[in-house]
Amino acid sequence: MTEPVFVRFWGTRGSIPTPGHKTRRFGGNTSCVEIRTGDIELVCDGGTGLRELGLDLLQRGRPKLEAHLFFSHMHWDHIQGFPFFVPAYGKDSELTVYEVSPGDDRVQKLLHGQMRSEYFPVEFGDLGAKIAARHLEQGVARIGDITVRCFEQCHPGRSFAYAFEVHGKKIVYATDSELDLLLGNREESLADLELERRLPDALLAFVDGADLLIADGQYTDDEYPKKVGWGHARANTVADLAEQAGVKQCAVFHHDPMHSDELVDEKIQRAVARLERRGAKTSLFGAREGLELKF
Amino acid sequence: MAGAVPIVPGMPQSRKLPTLEQVRGPGAPRRFGLALAETVVGRGNQSNVIIDSALLSRRHVVFRRSGPELSLADLDSANGVYVNGVKAHSALLHEGDTIQIGDVVFVLHEAPA
Repeated sequence: MTEPVFVRFWGTRGSIPTPGHKTRRFGGNTSCVEIRTGDIELVCDGGTGLRELGLDLLQRGRPKLEAHLFFSHMHWDHIQGFPFFVPAYGKDSELTVYEVSPGDDRVQKLLHGQMRSEYFPVEFGDLGAKIAARHLEQGVARIGDITVRCFEQCHPGRSFAYAFEVHGKKIVYATDSELDLLLGNREESLADLELERRLPDALLAFVDGADLLIADGQYTDDEYPKKVGWGHARANTVADLAEQAGVKQCAVFHHDPMHSDELVDEKIQRAVARLERRGAKTSLFGAREGLELKF
Repeated sequence: MAGAVPIVPGMPQSRKLPTLEQVRGPGAPRRFGLALAETVVGRGNQSNVIIDSALLSRRHVVFRRSGPELSLADLDSANGVYVNGVKAHSALLHEGDTIQIGDVVFVLHEAPA
């Protein structure tokens, strides 16, 4: 029997945690998404949502935790939860941390670095878990029946998207990418907001046919011109990517820390309306903390 | 309807109780107070809130209260659970969320602080 794939959002906010009543519905924790199938536990990014995930994993009562950690990149909002990930302290835990290519040790170095004594009271080397480094070979790794692929994105300091494929299901995690800098009709799309935005073929092929695309859509069309070069996309551009790549469901992710729940609602409603005007089959929603999907 | 508290207009209500306002489907409009730690909604008599709809599974969805948090989980229902239009396996819930199961639609009202 084929195991279902579960995807749960533990942190959906971009840039910096934003606790408080204005962000209760979509959540204030920074990037962390759990993908689970059978006994295999995959974690995308270690923002502050990772702390909550760690606590939940302990409550599930598994005798031994094995988790595979993938980082889009190492900016603060994607790693800050790691020192508070309680399973990393457990002697029965086995964590595998992935680098995108052989010889690359950026992830390991920076996870160590943020736990230097100047920043945090426990050093990385004192963690109880067995923490192994592994890299993708030519952009691909296999974990049981899961195939993982990575794709370089457009973000200051580099970032990577990951596609996870198992038993005919495909989940793409693609946060922190300024899609709008990659458009084939960039200038025209800024002048005419209704114009369909032309995404690169290589990106469309990477995302092609995903059951779920989780993508950074931090800005509205109105906000973006003041944020060019900051490394994040317009939500409407994410909608176009999802439609053009034949994505079934698209979760707009990495919400702006300046956005209240009401502003995120507006951003999402505009993107949904854009898809409806085009007659697209893609279903789009705003990723929110605590939501779990089953595929 | 064991465990669920139906709220009748004019009846004194606990101001601390989150409620499901049923706005569509058999029996609507009406409200259910979520008084228990777990409230199961379905068409079978093992559910706490029983709704006579062929589109519901016998035990369709469970609502859970844990401190101030309210969540739901799909109990492997045939037709699924939709939270604000998104098919959810489980979800944290907040004021105003719309929950659809089969032909039944609820709007969630959190307990006032």
